[in-house]
Amino acid sequence: MSEPLLDVRDLRVSFATPDGLVRAVDGVSFSVAPGRTLGIVGESGSGKSVAVSTVMGLTRGARGATIAGELRFAGHDLIHAGDEELRRLRGNELAMVFQDPMSSLHPLFRVGDQLVEAVRAHRPVGRRAARIRAQDMLGLAGVPEPGRRMEAYPHELSGGLRQRVMIAMALVNEPRLLIADEPTTALDVTVQAQILELLARLRDELGMAMVLVTHDLGVVAQVADDVAVMYAGRIVETGPTRPLLRTPQHPYTWGLLRSTPRLDGPRDAWPVPIAGRPPSPIAPPAGCRFHPRCPSALAPCAAIDPVLQPAGDGTQRAACILPAAVREEERP
Amino acid sequence: MGAYVVRRLLWLIAVLIAVSLVTFVIFYVLPSADPVLLRAGKNPSPEVVQSITHTLGLDRPWYVQYGRYMERLVLHLDLGRSYQNDASVRHLLWDRLPATLALAFGAMVLWLLIGIPLGIFSAVRHRRAGDRVVTGVSLLLVSAPVYWLGLVALYVFSADIGKLRWLEGAGSYPTHGTIFTNPGEVVPSLILPWIVLAISFAAIYARFVRGSLVEVLREDYIRTARAKGLPERTVVLKHGMRAAMTPVVTILGLDLGILLGGAILVETVFNVPGIGRLAYDSIQTSDLPMIQGTVLAGAFFIVLLTLVVDLVYAFLDPRVRYGQGAP
Amino acid sequence: MRRLARWATVTGTLVALATFGAACGSSDQGSTTASQGTSVETVPQGVKGGKVTVLAAGDVDFIDPGQTYYAFGYMVDYAVMRPLYSFAPGTLDTAQNDLAAGPPVLSDGGRTVTVTLRPDVRYAPPVDRAVTARDVKYAIERAFSANVPNGYAFNYFSVIEGTPKEPTDGVKPISGLQTPDDQTLVFRLKTKESGTLVAALVMPITMPVPPEYAKPFDAKSPSTYDQHVAFTGPYMIPNDPKTGKITGREPGKSIELVRNPNWDAATDYRPAYLDGITIQEGNTDAAVSSRRILQGSGLMQGDNAPPAPTIKQAVQRYPDQLKFVPALGPRYVSLNTSIPPFDDLNVRKAVNAIFDRTAMRLTRGGAIIGDIAWGYLPPGFPGFAESGGLKPPAEFDYLQDPDGDPELAAEYMKKAGYPSGRYTGDAKLLTAAINISPGSQTAAVAQNQFEKLGFKLNFRSLSPETMTTKFCGTPQAKVAICTNVATSADFVDPEALLKPYFYGPAITPSNNANWSELDDPKINAAMDAASALPPGDERVSAWADVNKQIVASAAAVPWIWDKTPLIASKDVQSLGNAYLTSWDLSFTSLKP
Repeated sequence: MSEPLLDVRDLRVSFATPDGLVRAVDGVSFSVAPGRTLGIVGESGSGKSVAVSTVMGLTRGARGATIAGELRFAGHDLIHAGDEELRRLRGNELAMVFQDPMSSLHPLFRVGDQLVEAVRAHRPVGRRAARIRAQDMLGLAGVPEPGRRMEAYPHELSGGLRQRVMIAMALVNEPRLLIADEPTTALDVTVQAQILELLARLRDELGMAMVLVTHDLGVVAQVADDVAVMYAGRIVETGPTRPLLRTPQHPYTWGLLRSTPRLDGPRDAWPVPIAGRPPSPIAPPAGCRFHPRCPSALAPCAAIDPVLQPAGDGTQRAACILPAAVREEERP
Repeated sequence: MGAYVVRRLLWLIAVLIAVSLVTFVIFYVLPSADPVLLRAGKNPSPEVVQSITHTLGLDRPWYVQYGRYMERLVLHLDLGRSYQNDASVRHLLWDRLPATLALAFGAMVLWLLIGIPLGIFSAVRHRRAGDRVVTGVSLLLVSAPVYWLGLVALYVFSADIGKLRWLEGAGSYPTHGTIFTNPGEVVPSLILPWIVLAISFAAIYARFVRGSLVEVLREDYIRTARAKGLPERTVVLKHGMRAAMTPVVTILGLDLGILLGGAILVETVFNVPGIGRLAYDSIQTSDLPMIQGTVLAGAFFIVLLTLVVDLVYAFLDPRVRYGQGAP
Repeated sequence: MRRLARWATVTGTLVALATFGAACGSSDQGSTTASQGTSVETVPQGVKGGKVTVLAAGDVDFIDPGQTYYAFGYMVDYAVMRPLYSFAPGTLDTAQNDLAAGPPVLSDGGRTVTVTLRPDVRYAPPVDRAVTARDVKYAIERAFSANVPNGYAFNYFSVIEGTPKEPTDGVKPISGLQTPDDQTLVFRLKTKESGTLVAALVMPITMPVPPEYAKPFDAKSPSTYDQHVAFTGPYMIPNDPKTGKITGREPGKSIELVRNPNWDAATDYRPAYLDGITIQEGNTDAAVSSRRILQGSGLMQGDNAPPAPTIKQAVQRYPDQLKFVPALGPRYVSLNTSIPPFDDLNVRKAVNAIFDRTAMRLTRGGAIIGDIAWGYLPPGFPGFAESGGLKPPAEFDYLQDPDGDPELAAEYMKKAGYPSGRYTGDAKLLTAAINISPGSQTAAVAQNQFEKLGFKLNFRSLSPETMTTKFCGTPQAKVAICTNVATSADFVDPEALLKPYFYGPAITPSNNANWSELDDPKINAAMDAASALPPGDERVSAWADVNKQIVASAAAVPWIWDKTPLIASKDVQSLGNAYLTSWDLSFTSLKP
């Protein structure tokens, strides 16, 4: 088994706020091998964005932030690395695409200039060479007439095009790992599929690893090799995509699946939302964090805080004390 | 865009007409001091008063006077003649303009050079010691009355009456020449006035830049810039400031517009013969045509600068477009 | 209208009626002696040459001698033009023969006044010819025309036969002004009362204006002669040698004075030491400009009196750089005798009694700035000694104590019908005060005095111009109290200080100077009688008596006969001219 490209162990990220200590990420571990795609799924507030932002080093400067744990990327210790070391990795070997391309692109600079900037931040090339590279990348990202689009401002492009630009910008230096934080959430459904397909294609062409953060299981189903389900700052279930979707092991995952509308279900089958609300990151419930909302909860769930245990067919792991037999039954 | 500019210029003219009318009504119909009486001597007979009123053209109904005034203005660009010394108002305004221009622009350059870096520093050190020091000092300077600052500056630095005789003081602006024709004498005489003006404004701009930049640095595209691996300096100065500057440009235009109408206090305390001092002198002597002239000049600059700012804004922010149904 | 902080207002000329001096002026260094033995004071070490800069706050009102009426205009005009008679510094008693070759000669019981002019005074280029009597005649005539708004011609010169009742359309000849030859000017008067006219001959209206040169300018309305003035004095303002248009003046900025090439020192009593004078305007902050003058070199004061703290400092640290000239009349607080309760003599006496005039004086600088006043003819003015001098006559018990006499005040109030000794009515007295320092401080002290007697004031703090033109000068405004008024003599005769301010018929609907609206038939009659007397001791005594009658009417509260402080740099020596109430530019020199 090759050395994982990204290795996250027991990552903890908390923020001191006037209301108390917010534990956004509370002991998260995962790894991504070169060329593999990990999908991180969870509701908003689950800590998934904070986790991946921390991987990029973007939470470092935040007020009252405390980062602990281990974070290794391609031999670099990202937690203890200097600012300059991190900067050299970002946008280079380690890239990120954000959710809302309208606000994530600088409104006052032309798209082409922003791409060129990304190139020249890490490569000692002249403007002309950088422009050629940028234009090529745009083309690769499926932007029609890339030469003309280089001169456009972000607000002059459609949502889908903007996201292609963002992707092109992230990939222009051929990163080894791309983190995509909800890349399709802000887009129309029809465009979503195109973007996901683009990501998958580029990943294959460039041979890069990818971490795809989303709340949408459908997205994950299309693109990810492995999935990690996050809840309340923790990973509650992981596993390869197919088994996880076919035989999910954690009641939260069941809830997620049930609440996803399905084309192939009965016509009058409404999605069933998960009852209740996510817990406060300042004062999580005792015991299993999901137990207040878990329809299958047992008495001990209020007292025991489960850790990830092997489950299902062995490639899966879930943080749940329900016996396997019960799980079999309860699974929808 | 061309149609937009034309529309705005027409608007400029409309505003100037409105201002001239309001000024006219205020000064001619409700003057605080009667220019006729200032000339009429002690216990004048009503005939004498009437005669002076007629000579100064003030015995017509105000709308007739206004009509004649506007007619002269529109047809001959003639702003009338000063009651004080019969000089052409237009000539005097033109004569005083260079001093005001030099004062305003010089101060502007200085306060931008001081205020913007301080604002950036403050924003980057948001809420930390550096920020608090800059914010505190700028609060003090914003609160200090400009006239008082001017006097203090004179008493400390002026070459003739100061403690440290480093800089030229009040009245050193030469009688002849402007900053273009006589920079050797004009520039040293303006250094203290520039500093005094700049100090007050620099403080305002530091605070404003700080606020604007702090907001901008919270935006998503700043996060993207960092994610691209750009050095922090580039993130703040290029990405951050480029977005933070647009509101600053708006105020800058307004402030400049107001200053071009004459920085009365600074011009008075340092005896710089600009439009501001001309306005002050003419108010003292109830010189109505001159007052009208300086008010119109001030209004002209404000409206013009507002237009310039809007055009610059469109240039700075490509999302703003005029003319095609834009707000 | 009195000179205010830096605002020169109406000045007076002090004409001694006793004698007209005859300094024929050989202006070598030292004192100039005149052929008749009256000498003109000069600076102790006057040296020819050099330049001085005058720091002024505002601009002159006019150079045009027919229009100028403010002290700063006088300061400049009397250095560049010559009237028939004028005053040298230091001599308030004697007017010098200036354009005139000798004193005015009265004949026909006073109905005719004849002045003989010198033949050897020349205009500067471009007019470049000798001054004639016709020029003075024209100068007076133009002041009666609508195009040359003049503030005093009708008041003092209407006694000349043929003067119009109202300003004429264009300059019209006046039949009572006759010029039988180039050097003789004859005034034919309507009555024998020549005293006022003779005294007024020192005013700028008698500065000559060449008609052939000035007519085109005087045809415009208003006249544009102000930019083309013809010069006869030791100095001139640089002008275009062909058209005469003044080039050395930048309105609001500066005025240059240079030597008049056609001035002959032998014809003048003025020494004119300096080669050039620059007047720098716009120095509005009196504290700053005073400091510059005192600590600098080559500077002197223009129209901007130093503030009280600077005067104190100058007295201590720069005594050689400070001189005082007496102002031309007292400052006082007027009580409108037509508005109750000031229509009651006892109330007015009570107000006089309560006033702490020492405190009032303190606001202007204290004892160095002048004497506590009790009457309307100041020290050095004809009639002052005759009225009683510095100390008020015993009959004015309400003015004996400069700090105020509360008991006496209470007594007068009781006599007026207020048994408590304080005012108990509900009238709110409209009070007009000045809003700039030090007048504003004085007004505050004045307000206190009234409140001591229980008066309630509707106190309005106004700009000087608004105060004089819209409030105090307009009887219709019904202002009960004016706290910052003063008399100011246009010429040296008690009439100038008493008639405009306390004569019933002088009250006009606008620009009224009789702020007390005093209209006492007995006083009016006494003034008529005194005015009719020819120049001389009898006239002075008659007016001194009028002065006392006015004081007896308690129509106002006089509080100071102040002095105008004048400062100059340590390398500048000059004399203060009591008539101009400023430095005399023609008597200014650098120190050797």
